[in-house]
Amino acid sequence: MARAKIKRGSTHVDMTAMCDVAFLLLTFFILAAQFKPSEAIEVVTPSSVSNKHAPQKDFFNVTIDKDNKVYIDMDEGIKGDVLEELAKERNLKFSPDDIQAFKKATFVGVPLSQLNQFTRLSAEQISKQKFPGVPVDSTNNELQAWITAAVNASLGHKLNFLIKGDDASKYTTFSNVIDAFKKNDIYKYNLVTNAEEVPVGSELYKKNMSGAAETKPAGQ
Amino acid sequence: MAEMEVKESSKKGPGVKKSKKKSTRVDLTPMVDLGFLLITFFIFTTTMSQPTSLNLNMPKDTEKPDENTKVKESGSLTLMLGKGNVIYYYYGADPSTMQTTGYKDVRNIILEKKKKTPAEDFFVIIKPDNDATYKNAVDILDEMNINDVGRYAMVKPTPDEFNMIQQTEKAGGIQ
Repeated sequence: MARAKIKRGSTHVDMTAMCDVAFLLLTFFILAAQFKPSEAIEVVTPSSVSNKHAPQKDFFNVTIDKDNKVYIDMDEGIKGDVLEELAKERNLKFSPDDIQAFKKATFVGVPLSQLNQFTRLSAEQISKQKFPGVPVDSTNNELQAWITAAVNASLGHKLNFLIKGDDASKYTTFSNVIDAFKKNDIYKYNLVTNAEEVPVGSELYKKNMSGAAETKPAGQ
Repeated sequence: MAEMEVKESSKKGPGVKKSKKKSTRVDLTPMVDLGFLLITFFIFTTTMSQPTSLNLNMPKDTEKPDENTKVKESGSLTLMLGKGNVIYYYYGADPSTMQTTGYKDVRNIILEKKKKTPAEDFFVIIKPDNDATYKNAVDILDEMNINDVGRYAMVKPTPDEFNMIQQTEKAGGIQ
């Protein structure tokens, strides 16, 4: 009887399978990553320790840029209704063409009187030009009208009001925006900020540490 | 991690030239390394860019004095945000005792006051003036979160306070 030969196993591992997995994952993450849409309005947001993510659905966003101009944009889903409500409120007429153009526009940066010309501009033209912004002063508060329209257009479901201000914008503009919201009886806002670490040793830090076992959301 | 050369075991005697067979195997280790490096990179960049939101609740404006929130004088700290990242603060109801500080030191002032006063009396009043920036306002709201201040409100400064800020700014030459 022949003795069984002990085969010397090779120490070489076949890496092909692992390579496959790695690249599969890589492809998945690249495809799943949400690319930041290039923003027409450049805004540097302040940072806060808040760990809540800004809502991406059912939002009405007010942007304040560094020159204290106010722009608005909103969820795609409510755009048509908002324009309809606005037309009712201000006795304006929008043709189907106007409505289509409005739905395609990424944001509103002009007074109502120029709205139709504005929505017909291409993205390229928008990036080149400067716009006067939506008026928020007390004499002609169009932002208030927009908010009223947005509220009426989204009756029955919750709308998130985002305020995205630039670091360098003045508090006065922010306070005007808040006033426009207040006139519509809206008192809850989400301020868009960058995430920041909670300073070690601060009260909130201790609270988070001790409350880690509880189910309470941290930072609230 | 180079591949081990396998020694030829077959002997064909001297003079016979060995035709060496080269291995067709490619070492994939560096490729795997690269793949995982990229994965790590993408995971990190996707989570980092998500903006967060700071919730802000404002009180309802009311004309009726009895509907306004009452604040105990002994427990109140008023922070006025001025031009050039300066904070003016005073305790109680007397603006003339106003002192100056900055955003780095304000945390200690809040904490000190918080320790000295009973929790139910402690109230921070934030009054940003016209020259304060939006960043100042968010920073101070953030400070409220960091220091776990439960009760605070953001209101406009009174004309008296506004004048005091203006005068101090003039005297201090803050641009």
